[in-house]
Amino acid sequence: MTTHDTRPGSAGGADTPGPLHGGPDEDYTPEQLAAMSREELDILGARYDGVEILHVDPGPEPGSRLEKRAVRQVGWTFAAAGISAFLFLVVYAGSGWFLPEWNWATEGTTWSALFNPLLGLFMGLAFALAGVGLVLYTKKLLPHETAVQDKHDGSHFDRVTTGATLVGGLHNSGLARRKLLTRSLGFMGAAFGLMLVAPLGGLIKNPNKGNPLGRTSWAEGVRLVRDDGTPVRPGDQEPGSLETVFPAVPGGNFQSDAATMLIRLRPEQVAADRPREGQADYGYGDYVAYSKICTHAGCPVSLYEQETSRILCPCHQSQFDVTQGAKPVFGPATRSLPQLPITVDDEGYFVARSDYPEAVGPTYWNRERI
Amino acid sequence: MSTTNPQSDAPTDATSRPVDRARARRRSKQRRRVANVAGLMASLVLTGSLYSVFAPAQAAEDTTSESAAEAAGRELYERSCITCHGENLEGEPNRGPSLIGVGEASVYFQVHTGRMPLVRQEAQAPDKPAVFSDAEIEQLMAYVQANGGGPELPPGGNLRDGDLAEGGELFRLNCASCHNFVGEGGALSSGKYAPSLKDATDLEIYTAMLTGPENMPVFGDNQLTPEEKRSIINYVQTVKFQADPGGAGIGRIGPVGEGLVIWVVGIGALMFGIFWMGSKA
Amino acid sequence: MAATATTPGAPTSRLGKAATEFDDRMIVAGPVRRTLNKVFPDHWSFLLGEIALYCFIILLLSGTYLTFFFDASMVEVEYQGEYDPLRGTQMSAAYASALDLSFDVRGGLFMRQMHHWAALLFVAAIVVHLLRIFFTGAFRRPRESNWLIGVVMLVLSLLMGVTGYTLPDDLLSGTGLRIISAILLSIPVIGTWAHFAVFNGDFVGTEIIGRFYIAHVLIFPAILLALIAVHLLILVKQKHTQFPGPGRTEHNVVGNRLFPTFAGKATGLLLVVFGVCAALAGLVQINPVWLWGPYNPAQVSAASQPDWYIMFLDGSTRIFPAWDINLPGDYTIPALFWPTVVVAGLMFTVLAVYPMIERKLTGDTASHHLLQRPRDVPVRTSLGVMALTFYVWLLLAGGNDVIADKFNISLNAMTWVGRIGVIILPPIAYVLTYRICLGLQQHDREVLEHGIETGVIRRLPHGEFIEVHQPLGPVDEHGHGQLAYGGAPVPKRMNQVGGARRAIRGFFSPIEQPSAVELEQLGEGRGLAAGEASRELTSSGRPSDGGRPSDGGRPQDARD
Repeated sequence: MTTHDTRPGSAGGADTPGPLHGGPDEDYTPEQLAAMSREELDILGARYDGVEILHVDPGPEPGSRLEKRAVRQVGWTFAAAGISAFLFLVVYAGSGWFLPEWNWATEGTTWSALFNPLLGLFMGLAFALAGVGLVLYTKKLLPHETAVQDKHDGSHFDRVTTGATLVGGLHNSGLARRKLLTRSLGFMGAAFGLMLVAPLGGLIKNPNKGNPLGRTSWAEGVRLVRDDGTPVRPGDQEPGSLETVFPAVPGGNFQSDAATMLIRLRPEQVAADRPREGQADYGYGDYVAYSKICTHAGCPVSLYEQETSRILCPCHQSQFDVTQGAKPVFGPATRSLPQLPITVDDEGYFVARSDYPEAVGPTYWNRERI
Repeated sequence: MSTTNPQSDAPTDATSRPVDRARARRRSKQRRRVANVAGLMASLVLTGSLYSVFAPAQAAEDTTSESAAEAAGRELYERSCITCHGENLEGEPNRGPSLIGVGEASVYFQVHTGRMPLVRQEAQAPDKPAVFSDAEIEQLMAYVQANGGGPELPPGGNLRDGDLAEGGELFRLNCASCHNFVGEGGALSSGKYAPSLKDATDLEIYTAMLTGPENMPVFGDNQLTPEEKRSIINYVQTVKFQADPGGAGIGRIGPVGEGLVIWVVGIGALMFGIFWMGSKA
Repeated sequence: MAATATTPGAPTSRLGKAATEFDDRMIVAGPVRRTLNKVFPDHWSFLLGEIALYCFIILLLSGTYLTFFFDASMVEVEYQGEYDPLRGTQMSAAYASALDLSFDVRGGLFMRQMHHWAALLFVAAIVVHLLRIFFTGAFRRPRESNWLIGVVMLVLSLLMGVTGYTLPDDLLSGTGLRIISAILLSIPVIGTWAHFAVFNGDFVGTEIIGRFYIAHVLIFPAILLALIAVHLLILVKQKHTQFPGPGRTEHNVVGNRLFPTFAGKATGLLLVVFGVCAALAGLVQINPVWLWGPYNPAQVSAASQPDWYIMFLDGSTRIFPAWDINLPGDYTIPALFWPTVVVAGLMFTVLAVYPMIERKLTGDTASHHLLQRPRDVPVRTSLGVMALTFYVWLLLAGGNDVIADKFNISLNAMTWVGRIGVIILPPIAYVLTYRICLGLQQHDREVLEHGIETGVIRRLPHGEFIEVHQPLGPVDEHGHGQLAYGGAPVPKRMNQVGGARRAIRGFFSPIEQPSAVELEQLGEGRGLAAGEASRELTSSGRPSDGGRPSDGGRPQDARD
């Protein structure tokens, strides 16, 4: 009884293969293959894949001293890897159970400082030993064969036949003749491309609207406050000191462009002070205020050397001279740090007289125009 | 505490501080309110007492009589310091600055860290084992303090008695730019450097902030209150002695050390591994 | 075919039957056999790319773990976790979750560190792999496309690194982000627009961590994964290159079949790479964000650096002079633009198109499957060393403040050393490498002509002392060797040709090299020897019978 009888309409895979079926199955009958040994089959298959096994250096003689030693070596390596993996589990799961807590405390208990290193040690050992064991296995216990595989360049036959199929299809489509179709397809493709890219327009924001780059929260009468919000008075700082101050607006101490260095110069520095042109009155007494944002790449510059009057930026080592209007004297920065005009309000606290006269922070294409 | 016009500073200080402190703490949690009030009182008392300590010191300046400590200090001064700082602490051009008004805090920092006496003139005085004993340093301090006054040592107490998290925040704002994230130190311009805080004692850090040695800016008591200074010291010393939970700290300097480790240890180990795999059995 | 079940030789074991059933449905026996039979050349330098691949696997696994805990949000929170020195501090949710991951998740710190170490190792392995490909000429036709894909993957891995570095939102990465922002701004004409598109406004905004996060965990890895697949498919299709040697031609690959030898070694390497990353993750602390503190635009630390693979751009920025270009109409090209966008763009463009440049200059358009020894292509090798010198110098300049601090050198002097060195060192490196290549070439030729130095000194009757040389092959009437150079290593020591004691079993030597004589003596009749006669290089490294020094070396039977 065939499939055809039980399930009419189904050939059940029992029909005969077509004339193009072919392949190695035609060359080697099952009977021939059954008569071959496993080694012969292996070599036969390899040959079909263009591989010639030139030489096999068999592994160590079974039962030989060499083999026993290699087996012992590999075996112990794998066992050690297993032990390491188990110890990892012990440390990981046992901490806080039968081992001390792993949690980190202020001073760091001994075990909490050891927890992570032990995890790494055991997992590292486990993986590395497993890998070493495997390599030892292949090197010491497996036969070494030298095989050569042929490398074929592209087949001329394949190129010609594939080309014929492709060109035939293109020819049948008639796109070369039917110009209207070609053009409309091209138009459609371009329009589709634009349509698919268009939603990215949601990312675009106009940087020139409202001048966000050229303005900060500083304005006339805005107090200079410390990080904790306390205002600053002229008596608060010693000569040769620097305080980072922020505009007294909500969130002022987290604004990226508002941080300002309030510097009280020493008498020697006051004597040597050469402010920028038109900014001679920006300071107040022996106080000057400069933007903390580097004009090069925007890092906060505040490595203030009070003896040499230099301010160093830790990112790219631009150096600014406080007594020369914070002019860059070394490194990649090109512009002086903007100076904040300051004065003192009725209550005796420092306030800004206006915003910075120029844009704060790194240079960009149209900075001068803002 | 300003030495220039303490009369005008101190009274306003007392009135304005409570308000300011309260504003500063408005972000803090309820549970620390009590501690804060205590802190306020402490700072008030401290400010007042500092002032009261100060006033007699100024009065003492006018007298010509020298205590025994001052005399011993003068002797030490004339033996070791006089070459650069002059006969009467007035300084020598191109050799050493005037010491009038630098105060005992400055003497303590410079001599206790071994920076003074200087071995030779270089970009910056390096710290080294102190030359003078603690008793001798006391005498020098007394001598310099008696001749011109200046910032004094804090009136004792635990110098780490401050809020850890606040200290960290202040450290990162005021100190990390030169001394690195956790006080490992860093380079400054032309051979100068901000030293590592690894060996710094509490009092050394305190006096350094108070006096601004060499190129370090001064952090007077009205800029960083004594309480804030204690917070910073608490943070520096806590983090310094804190274990590295992630393994070897490799200097805690960040990517440079890490890059070195991955090339030397990581790539190095794996290169050996693949040489071995490629070699004949 | 259903008929299989009854054919002779049909499997009788259960496993065999199951395999037959499986293949009846999937028809995979053919492809699987072809894969298992694929031959891989056996040389350590072919494993470098694999290290990078295995690092990527670690990155995918550990990165997925990290996403379970990381919160890519810039919402301000107050930290209340385990770590005392930050408790009560205001910070972004991203930073707080990175802290929680490190201190409140069991083993979280371990995974975070493993991810970061694997990332550093990933890029380092890519760079070493790239150097091997470059110096051996493996990028030549037909492998230009794979070279190109490789360069794109390198750039992508750098982008992965930069975005990943930024995610914890600590003070170090925030400083880096600030510089990224300045670099975007520095692009002429479109800079501000580009910045506003990426950051959704002025620095720092509230979006950037979230955007970098999705780029880091989805966009870049997806592209990278696809490119890795293409990279490997092309490699399988084109087959491996190999170094020249006995029996190796442009039309074959000599080595081990995939199964079991190569598969064993590759899996072993995978495990070792995992082991190295795990050991580093546990034993060496990386990026301790709790020490860096939360990001605040007003705060900074000395020695703020990017991870090593971006450090060369930081270095170029540090040593670049302060040259803003002011254009008419008050437009400016900032100095920052050149050492970042332009230098990086040029470096990667030149790298990507180098195969085309070399093809143009040498006119060599042939397919190559045999590798070149670097000494045989002195111009390319010297160019490579020159570029490497330039790169390493920039890299060092990126850490110049740490170097200045640790070795007590003036920071300004370091900057000038960087500026001068970057101009004069690469040409010096070029000339030196060129001379070394020529010297090595000459030595090879000399050994082929005059033989190996045996170290045996003879005194001639008239008193002259000469050193006995061991010719490598037949000699002409003047005693000069007749072997031509074949692009393979020439033996330089007696023990490499079996003339001294047993050849050193090389930890560092490739597998065929020292064993050539041994193998020849052991198995004279095997197939390899037959095919060799046609190749001139087959005879290199084999002493002919009459070639041994009559009184030099050690007795042959001393070899074991």
